[in-house]
Amino acid sequence: MADIRENDITSRDEDGSASVSRLAWISSGLGLLLFLGSVGVLGYEGITRGSGPPAITAVVEEVVPAGPRWLAHIRLTNDGGKTGAKVQVEGQLMAGDEALETSVAEFDYVPAGSEQKGGLFFDRDPRAHALRLRVLGYVEP
Amino acid sequence: MDITRQRSFLHDEAQFARALARASAGAIIFALPLLMTMEMWELGFYMDRFRLALFILVTLPVLFGLSYFAGFEETFCWQDDLIDALSAFAVGFLMSAALLTVFAIVRLDQPLPEIIGKIALQSVPASIGAMLARKQLGQQDDADRERRIRSSYPGELFLMGAGALFVGFNVAPTEEMILISYKMSPWHAVALAVLSLGLLHVFVYTVGFAGQESAGDDGFLSVFLRFSVAGYGIALLISLYLLWTFERIAGLSMMELVTATVVLGFPSALGAATARLIV
Repeated sequence: MADIRENDITSRDEDGSASVSRLAWISSGLGLLLFLGSVGVLGYEGITRGSGPPAITAVVEEVVPAGPRWLAHIRLTNDGGKTGAKVQVEGQLMAGDEALETSVAEFDYVPAGSEQKGGLFFDRDPRAHALRLRVLGYVEP
Repeated sequence: MDITRQRSFLHDEAQFARALARASAGAIIFALPLLMTMEMWELGFYMDRFRLALFILVTLPVLFGLSYFAGFEETFCWQDDLIDALSAFAVGFLMSAALLTVFAIVRLDQPLPEIIGKIALQSVPASIGAMLARKQLGQQDDADRERRIRSSYPGELFLMGAGALFVGFNVAPTEEMILISYKMSPWHAVALAVLSLGLLHVFVYTVGFAGQESAGDDGFLSVFLRFSVAGYGIALLISLYLLWTFERIAGLSMMELVTATVVLGFPSALGAATARLIV
């Protein structure tokens, strides 16, 4: 090993082209950048993101007709520190205290610090009633 | 080998471009099973950030070591190995990013940490694949290198560890590892451990590790202890590390933990045993 290196250096000195090719510099520089970048982003995320439970809220984005029925687009936001799996969301059309209609959607994952979108179908127009959204529960992934 | 030929790989632009192309092919082929595994995408965003960061950090020395023993091009000093390791990481990262984007697993409207997590996790097997591409897809005329590995026992153990990491990683993210261990009785676990060790030893003899030439002198017990038992120990440790990294062991009883480690230890042991074929 040692003498191979010595030979190498000697021969570099001889022909004077000791430089590593530009392409090698570019690719290894890019590698270093990507390496430090990923570790940096992950480390920063690990420090700043809390370790608390998932805190998932659901809001209605838009209600559109879907054939003879109605579709309420919903958006889930997880501001907690952990990811929730199998998150169940229930939407109820309310007439006073009485639920006229109930629809349920299940989200495979709502990662910490991110948003997921979905939809609930209803037979009645949700815009004519109060639409109550509830995040029912989750399991740890 | 004359010096000019040796040096040409890293210092000639066209040669290096060809090595990079081969590395890209290797990254895709070796990482494809994991790129198309659902658990890998999910782990990318939900697994503990520090464990993922540590996993990426561990990858670089592994790449460096692989470059020393079997990189995608000839290297002759540690700077060359570092350049190769970083280039392999760049290739693995970019290939993972490209494929995950094409598969619509990574989308630009996702938060940055989620995107980085998914790509970074995939870039571990992809960059190892990039590093192994030379041996698998390229020419195999490195007699010097073979000798260098054979002469070093720690080098041999490192290769076993890298093989265990690579093959173990291919199955570690799946639910099946834990599911299989739930189904097994303690006697099944003992049988699997014996089988793993037995197969490992058979491979040590047939594939040809360092010291095999002198196996006649050392005797069965010495080779068995120095390579097979040591290799299985490494495979088990790496299995445990992988299970911990993927958060598969939280809440398991000691018995379940040992069984899960033995289950993952089987592919890891085979990886360690066949490291000489792969690397």
